[in-house]
Amino acid sequence: MSIRPPEPEAAAPSAEWTLVDQLLAEQGTLTAVERFSQWHGRGGAGAAGAGGIGGYSYSHLMPAAPPGPGEQYRFEVNLDACTGCKACVSACHSLNGLDDDEAWRDVGSVIGGRRGNAYQQTVTTACHHCADPACASGCPVAAYEKEADTGIVRHLDDQCIGCGYCVLKCPYDVPKYSKRLGIVRKCDMCAGRLREGEAPACVQACPTGAIAIRIVRIDDIQPDIGSRLVPGAFDSSYTRPATLYRTTRPIPADARPADAGALRVEHAHWPLIGMLTLTQLSVGLFAVLATLTGLGKPVPSAAVFAATGVLMAGLAVSVLHLGRPLGAWRFFLGLKTSWMSREILAFNALAGCATLSSALAFLGTDYGSRLASGLGVESGLLPKMAACLPAALALTALVGLASVFTSVMIYVDTRRPYWNAALTTVRFFGTVPLLGTGALAAAGPDKIWLGLSMAILTGLYGWMQAKFRRAWDDDDSPWNASARVIKLRLRGVADTGEVLFLAALICGFCSLISSGPASAVWAALYLLSILTGQVLDRVIFFTAAMGPRMTGGCKS
Amino acid sequence: MNLKLKTAIKTAIRGGTKAKALQNLVRQHEGPLTTRLVREPGAFGLGQVPSRLKPDAVTTSVCGFCATGCGLKLHLRDGQAVNLSADPAYPVNLGMACPKGWEALTPLDADDRGRAPMLDGKPVAWQTAAGTFAARMRHILDAHGPESVAVLSTGQIVTEEMAFLGAFAKFGMGLHHMDSNTRQCMATAAVAYKQSFGFDAPPFTYADFEESDVLVFVGSNPCIAHPIMWQRVMMNRRNPKIIVVDPRRTETAQAATHHCAIKPKSDLILLYGLAQLLIEKGAVKRDFIDAHTSGYDDFAAFVSEFTAARVSRDTGLSEKQLHETAELIANHGRVSFWWTMGVNQGHESTRTAQAIINLALMTGNIGRPGTGANSITGQCNAMGSRLFGNATSLLGGHDANKPADRAKVAGILGIPEGRIPPASTVTYDQIIERVADGRIKGLWILATNPSHSWIDSEACNRALEKLDFLVVQDMYPTTDTARRAHLYLPAAGWGEKDGTFINAERRIGVVKKVRRAPGEALSDFNILRLLAQSWSPETAAMFRDWTSPEAVFGILKQLSAGQPFDFTGIDDYNMLSREGGIQWPWPAPPGSTAFNSTSNPAAPASALDCGDLSPLSPAGLVPRPPSQGDPSPTRTPTADSPDGGKPPFSKAVTSPRTPNDFPGPTEATAEPTPSPPRERRLFTSGRFFHPDGRARFLFEAPRLQPEPTDGQYPICLLTGRGTSAQWHTNTRTGKSAVLRKLHPQNCLVEIHPMDAAVLKIRNQDRVLITSRRATVEATAVLTPCVQPGQCFMPMHYEEVNHLTLAAFDPHSRQPSYKACAVRISGKKG
Repeated sequence: MSIRPPEPEAAAPSAEWTLVDQLLAEQGTLTAVERFSQWHGRGGAGAAGAGGIGGYSYSHLMPAAPPGPGEQYRFEVNLDACTGCKACVSACHSLNGLDDDEAWRDVGSVIGGRRGNAYQQTVTTACHHCADPACASGCPVAAYEKEADTGIVRHLDDQCIGCGYCVLKCPYDVPKYSKRLGIVRKCDMCAGRLREGEAPACVQACPTGAIAIRIVRIDDIQPDIGSRLVPGAFDSSYTRPATLYRTTRPIPADARPADAGALRVEHAHWPLIGMLTLTQLSVGLFAVLATLTGLGKPVPSAAVFAATGVLMAGLAVSVLHLGRPLGAWRFFLGLKTSWMSREILAFNALAGCATLSSALAFLGTDYGSRLASGLGVESGLLPKMAACLPAALALTALVGLASVFTSVMIYVDTRRPYWNAALTTVRFFGTVPLLGTGALAAAGPDKIWLGLSMAILTGLYGWMQAKFRRAWDDDDSPWNASARVIKLRLRGVADTGEVLFLAALICGFCSLISSGPASAVWAALYLLSILTGQVLDRVIFFTAAMGPRMTGGCKS
Repeated sequence: MNLKLKTAIKTAIRGGTKAKALQNLVRQHEGPLTTRLVREPGAFGLGQVPSRLKPDAVTTSVCGFCATGCGLKLHLRDGQAVNLSADPAYPVNLGMACPKGWEALTPLDADDRGRAPMLDGKPVAWQTAAGTFAARMRHILDAHGPESVAVLSTGQIVTEEMAFLGAFAKFGMGLHHMDSNTRQCMATAAVAYKQSFGFDAPPFTYADFEESDVLVFVGSNPCIAHPIMWQRVMMNRRNPKIIVVDPRRTETAQAATHHCAIKPKSDLILLYGLAQLLIEKGAVKRDFIDAHTSGYDDFAAFVSEFTAARVSRDTGLSEKQLHETAELIANHGRVSFWWTMGVNQGHESTRTAQAIINLALMTGNIGRPGTGANSITGQCNAMGSRLFGNATSLLGGHDANKPADRAKVAGILGIPEGRIPPASTVTYDQIIERVADGRIKGLWILATNPSHSWIDSEACNRALEKLDFLVVQDMYPTTDTARRAHLYLPAAGWGEKDGTFINAERRIGVVKKVRRAPGEALSDFNILRLLAQSWSPETAAMFRDWTSPEAVFGILKQLSAGQPFDFTGIDDYNMLSREGGIQWPWPAPPGSTAFNSTSNPAAPASALDCGDLSPLSPAGLVPRPPSQGDPSPTRTPTADSPDGGKPPFSKAVTSPRTPNDFPGPTEATAEPTPSPPRERRLFTSGRFFHPDGRARFLFEAPRLQPEPTDGQYPICLLTGRGTSAQWHTNTRTGKSAVLRKLHPQNCLVEIHPMDAAVLKIRNQDRVLITSRRATVEATAVLTPCVQPGQCFMPMHYEEVNHLTLAAFDPHSRQPSYKACAVRISGKKG
């Protein structure tokens, strides 16, 4: 089969065919098909129907018939048989043609017990195809579908807009975002294989037959509150995972994931940081402006424009968070269950209100009245319309507060300990008046707003610090791990936040005791400090929010 | 967009309604992203495969990581492998593979593959590289003699390349010293077998895992290190008792029925103690001992001092546990003993391995199904290197000090006998020692990474710095060792070349070229052809017939004739591929044209008697030819055998994974040679390879471990494999993103929670580990699976061997990686 050097007369006159050329040519010649041809052209044998990669019977690992009404497929893992080879992960990757680092199965381990009775158990895990899938309820565009006949939680890749909210929602860390594709992908239990009576890749690949597909009545998946699939996993009553882990070995009471105590710095999500900070600043401005008009004080049109501009910037930035923003118009599909859908709706409404407020404010300006008369609007109508501004501002502020509430709920609904209702609500609803009053203080000479803003800042900071201390000191606090991440891994961010807090107080104080341009400069510096401080706080908000995971990684 | 539209239209047509298309607009069930993951029947017996990786042909190959030797089915497109799956027809793995096997193709695509030879870090042409190699090696040899240049080879290349390398280095270049990284993994087993059995012959076949009543694993963690062998244990339907001897409560220990958590390096004492208890319990098979062994009485006298009380004190096991273990061995008909690196990598490892062999011999647990003293080898072709490495023994298991052997080898190779150096090589540790003291000035390292893997690696690296000329031949110029090379030669990897491997159960399997090597990388075989040509006209002529791996396979067959591993009955690669590998020995039938006894005048009859070809009895396998004196209870049930008259264990009946449709070849090749039985073991006739046909009882008084713990270094450091997703120094497995997910990224140390509490260390803290050699940093993992006073570090992290102590077994010169003294402290700040 080797390529022979050409005969001298056949060779090009100048080219000298050397052994190196011959060896390189040989190296590039693939001959396995011709030489070992017994496999070539043979098709079919043992394929679909035989239920496995080569005519093997997996019948004892597969149900005899598809699920009936009210039933679904489940993974059943025999922990006693699993010895930690991890072939299931590799096979999932290879037999499903996934990306280089992508696998829909994962493994981790649980450690516990004492000397002589030491316990270490590898736990293989994939999507649990939950009875109440949190991914599906969180998805704004209904890109998840729990199949009626199989119970498999399918992800519709072409429907996905890549918002990544399911990644935050799933307490088992199942959906994985692909930057390359701009969407999330996840385990489909090899639905196509199951349809043909073939075993899923992981079932096929387990050398000890530890993974099986079984059928379960969906109504029978009723985990008690506080029950867990394996030690360290999330409370099963949340999503009612279908997977069953079986073992005859008693699991020691002190069993914990191998990576217990490991600190992870989560993704910062910069577009979301920008969006939260800007929209909350905007809502704060609208609220303050509405309050001003409510008090009968004049409101400069520029302030309304500014508030609207900040809002639009925030919303524009948020789009950067989406892997495939063009499909976002389908957000209405998730309104019934998804706070993300509701947030999109709320902020769309808010954008409308803000635009209306701006338009009305515009009519109150010289340009506006000139433009209106140019367009032939009846002159008597203008003041009437401008008079609606206070009402529009009030409406905008209310819709804005509702929008912030949806923002709060998006995070609270993930059940991450650090995103608990109290902490998130105080954070977001604290930012609104803090930045609103701060911005107004920077814009006008009225020092009452600056004082108010500084009071809010001090209160907010003090409250957050107290909460943090308690979580840090108490090992059993639900967000002790987040407190440790902040203190040990996010030290730079946290320290800078503290410096900014002090700087803001100093700038504010200097502004209060000075007057004229100096005071304005100090007030502007104050606003800059608190704004940056809030951005850093959102960085911590995201990066310290260690999410629950299934299995505890692989020891490190 | 176009595709989207098409999909929408397709959907509409299939659904027959516009409504469905509209539905898809709102809720897209189909589209380009969905299409990416579509699977379809793959044909070739594959079941569904990803459509974008659907093969147009399939071939098989043996995996290139460990000695299990799994069969992989390579999915080809235009002759190139695009994917793979485990081969259900291969008798080793029966359709399963570990993560390394599944990812075998991925390391070939790594960005840092070597694409051109490099001289002092700069790419050069092959002609320049080969010329430089010859000129500089010659320069050293001319000035300092044949002992001034040495070779460090590997168990990771195909047998044909090993033979070529050994022949070229010793007979061509005239070097005296050559060793291989197999010194680090199975030198002990080779020496132990050779001394005990008369030849380096692991007797077992994997079916023995399934057919034992009791399996004893000593220093062996197959769940992690050989998962596919563990699969075979799990297929055992005899409700076996599984005893694991290991200081750690490993995954295997947890899966076992009995765990003997001995003190580190007390295995030899335990094994002698068990021998004494077996004698006391009358479990000795006197008939077998008298008929087939020598030295038993001396051994029995020797072990009499290993009383249960003493052994209990030295091993940390209770006397009750010792009695229980001995009784399990005594009371079952089929006991198999298995050992791996926990035994092989010790300061008295050869005697420890032989202590295991002694237990098998004295209880008659050898040569029958489900028995044996069985070494589980490490590397994919360690067994090939044992026969054809041409390092310690002369090519083909011959003895360079025997004139007859030299004449035989020279005759087959057609070289002057004078080209064969009579002296055998110094060992790996002595090569490094001679590099350090300047006696060796030129070193050629192939497919191994001593800068990471050699014991006390920093001392090794200091030695390598002194070399005048270091040549490294590897897939990657980025390994710790290749980075130090003066000349780097880019090698093709597994999957980019042809050849054969020999697995732990002596199965010769074929490796096939299914990928093009990157750039100008050449197979080790082709590099050797080039070097042989440019070395001298004499070597060019010497290796003129060594044109392809398969041509060399023919030469190896001739070398095997009459040897215990005689495989002259194997026609060619096609036969190996067709049969799912063939275990040695498989001699040509007497009188056949293949290789008759003329090439081997010393009558091979006795050796072939020893290499009994008796197959296993399960249904579906070739029936056993009648043979005299076979003690197998499957034919002649004995009273002690509990399975007495029961029909032999039948895979077809009891195993759920048995192929019901063995997809063998349908298009028969011309002149098919009769198929060998799929699984065979050695010594079924009770004859061993010593001239008298008897196995030896070999023993020696245990010695203290070289570096016991003390007040300053109070913790014993154990090392070993971390996860099944890592291979040795991680140069290949580290290239797979999937495998990287499956192992910790940073060096870790497992510590018992009690020790951690004293040291104020929390789970996942960074800690410092200090030995007399070095201090390294690692992440603490608190686990009761290590005993108090001990810690464990996986060997895959480069820093671990900074700590280890360079101590060696005196017989095998294998390094003792498994125990040294350290202290641990929390890292400040």
